[in-house]
Amino acid sequence: MTTYTLLIAAPLFFALVVMVSGVVIRNIFAIAFVIGLSFLSISNIFVFHAPTETILPHFFHNLFILLDGMVLLFFLWQGVKTKNSLVKIFALFQIVLYVVVLLLSPTLISNDVLIDEISSVMYLIINIVGGIIIVYALKYIESEEFSRAKKNGFIAMLFFFLSVMNFIVSTNNIEIFFLLFELTTLCSYILIGYRGDEMSVLNAQKALWMNQIGGVAILVALIFSILQYKTVYFDVLIANIDAFYLLPIVFLAIAAFVKGASIPFDKWLLGAMIAPTPVSAILHSATMVKIAPYLMLKLAPAMSGFVSLTITLLGTFVFFAASLLALGKDYFKEILGYSTIALLGLMMALAAIGTPEAIVACLTLIVFHAISKALLFLQAGILEKSFHLKYVNDIDGLINNSPLVVFFIIVGFASLTIPPFGAFIAKFMAIETIASEIIKNPLYVFALIFLALGSAFLTLLYFKVVTKLFVKDVETKTVDIKISKFYTIPSYLLLILLVVGIYISFELELLSSLEIIVPLFLVAIVPLLFALILFKKADRVKEYNCGEKDDIQLNMYYFHMPSVIKKDIAIIAVVGMCILILGVLL
Amino acid sequence: MIEILLILFAPIIGGFIYGFERVVRARMQNRQGPPLLQPFYDMFKLIDKQAFIVNPYHTILGIMHFITLWVVVAFIIMGQNLLYVIFLHLLSSIFLILAGFSVKSIYSHIGSNRELLAALAYEPILIMIAVGFFMVNGSFDIAVIREHDASIASLFLLFLAYLMVMPIKLKKSPFDATEAHQEIVGGVEIEFSGIFFEFLYMAKWLEYIFVYLLLMLFAGDNIFLGIGLFIGVFLLLNLIDNATARIKMKHLIKIVLSLGLTLGMCNLIGLAYV
Repeated sequence: MTTYTLLIAAPLFFALVVMVSGVVIRNIFAIAFVIGLSFLSISNIFVFHAPTETILPHFFHNLFILLDGMVLLFFLWQGVKTKNSLVKIFALFQIVLYVVVLLLSPTLISNDVLIDEISSVMYLIINIVGGIIIVYALKYIESEEFSRAKKNGFIAMLFFFLSVMNFIVSTNNIEIFFLLFELTTLCSYILIGYRGDEMSVLNAQKALWMNQIGGVAILVALIFSILQYKTVYFDVLIANIDAFYLLPIVFLAIAAFVKGASIPFDKWLLGAMIAPTPVSAILHSATMVKIAPYLMLKLAPAMSGFVSLTITLLGTFVFFAASLLALGKDYFKEILGYSTIALLGLMMALAAIGTPEAIVACLTLIVFHAISKALLFLQAGILEKSFHLKYVNDIDGLINNSPLVVFFIIVGFASLTIPPFGAFIAKFMAIETIASEIIKNPLYVFALIFLALGSAFLTLLYFKVVTKLFVKDVETKTVDIKISKFYTIPSYLLLILLVVGIYISFELELLSSLEIIVPLFLVAIVPLLFALILFKKADRVKEYNCGEKDDIQLNMYYFHMPSVIKKDIAIIAVVGMCILILGVLL
Repeated sequence: MIEILLILFAPIIGGFIYGFERVVRARMQNRQGPPLLQPFYDMFKLIDKQAFIVNPYHTILGIMHFITLWVVVAFIIMGQNLLYVIFLHLLSSIFLILAGFSVKSIYSHIGSNRELLAALAYEPILIMIAVGFFMVNGSFDIAVIREHDASIASLFLLFLAYLMVMPIKLKKSPFDATEAHQEIVGGVEIEFSGIFFEFLYMAKWLEYIFVYLLLMLFAGDNIFLGIGLFIGVFLLLNLIDNATARIKMKHLIKIVLSLGLTLGMCNLIGLAYV
């Protein structure tokens, strides 16, 4: 049995097991399963030699067609049941297109499963980061007011999600890819609406119809691909690609934009905030949205100069625009959400450039973004559950109550901005890549400007949050509030992953050793030494307020974002996509 | 060898530049001004004072700001990657900003906030300058840039943009809202005292070294041009400092970003076509 079959089949089995067992047994099993999956995904890196290729037997294809039909009918039924016309229309549209696809007969056959280095990297984040989030969810879900079956179902659903994700990064068949794409949509629909209240249901529906646009785009791409290239396989399509007929590629790219919650499809990911925090964590870091850059990476070799440039500009524009929009937000998870959208834009831009350096930068960003975002979302969950805080502005002097959470949040943000962390390295390599692209095509200057401005905005955004956390005055005494081990241990594990990441980037020589070691000293070791040695004797003094005696209340700074800006940004993004399609058509 | 000496004495050299600048500025205003060694007299006085701290995070972050800036200067002198140096410099600013946010003081928060907004204004321009050097010299390495001919002619627009960044970093009018002298009671610096303030004070000297070393990169391997640039820009900045009034933070960002990015964009597009 090969690793990938285990990675796909095992979580399905795990899902069944956790569904039926009691709390303690379920927890023990789930933790064991997560450890098992993590080891499998790591061993895959070391065992892996030549690309694995498999053709699935005919039985599976029929099974997949059946599943596909069921999923689409389920969407339609949901649309009818909730009287949501958008869901209904897109479901019907998909069913029609899918029937067309089934009627067409592609002749060129290839492997259904194809595992390359990129899949192996994706396995790592899906199983390790996703697994850590499941461990966290074990405790989190217990604090929700669900029935036992529903609680277990939640954990089972997360395992199912991992299985689907493991499959989607292994497949080479666009039809199977479509099925899995729809299954992730289904998972997110169920998970977002899990609480069952009005807001959850509304946002789940929003996620459903928006993601169905992606499904439509894949089906359109499939039809074009079968008509022109007579194939439903990624590798055949990419190998035979004709620079004058790129429609399949462009529509697949649009599907990626939808999954990646790129502006103007950003609403569904922001709406997903309403779900229990582990859902946001797993959607943002390990699963779902990561399909977007993965798909772009797969398509990159087939892109012409025009397509690659347009997607790069669109991606960097989204990076810039989402960072800008985030500045006006106060809800902690929403801030995280916008920064995910922004960074996904950057990942897709890098993937579209497609040079070896760009691909390395993109993968680095995918991996480290997953770790950092997971860490931050776990903290968001802790804030909600242990401190009943949702809005950044309500967090006052958290450092007095829980230095640990503050530490994790700061590490989370720092790991997205400063050296020697991976996300920084990726951003650094992104600028280098774009700089060498400018020499070939000056239009990449705009990508550079978007990137430079966007990263400045993101820094500003992260500090907006840190402002509130960090304030420590002379008099308030530290009162520790106990946080469950189930919450802190996953956070520690992610922290360890970050450190391992620094070590790996050191080994891979992504930056020179000096460039990694020096900042490591600066951000970690030297401050620690100071903290240990100094200040025991120094006298304390109260802050100087020019003689004012009034108690001061420090607030976070705000940036006013007129709604016009939001509209303009969406219009620009839509126009960009239209240009992409029209440019390829002409 | 000379590089190690330069790195070790960088803060002191910076102190001299700072002292000299105070003299020059005073002469421009027809004043006598302080003696050249005034920064060092200040230093000894500060070291002698009793050490007070508000909270340990604040103090550690302030010291880290100084240390990181020193590393930045060392990296430039050693000829490391320019883009990396710019980001490391951002890290040093981040330490200072965090320090400012870590105390419960309105002035400190305003100062930090302005520091952050200023970073927003100059950071993209510094990145564009680095990309400009890359396009001219084919490498981000400062060592390589120093071996090539002067690139000021082909990067003239970016040079102009850099002239706008310099006053922000050196806290000079019209772009000195980050410090704003008495207006916000020293901003980020307010809660530092005694020897700990000395670190911030020395960081300011290092900032001079950083800014002028970057300026001299425009001269490439031409040392005389480099020194000429240094003296010329030094006098120009002080003249402007004396002649202009401070503008608001909002206007600072608007002017620097819009003008700087336009200049940078024209320059880079021009380079790509030539």
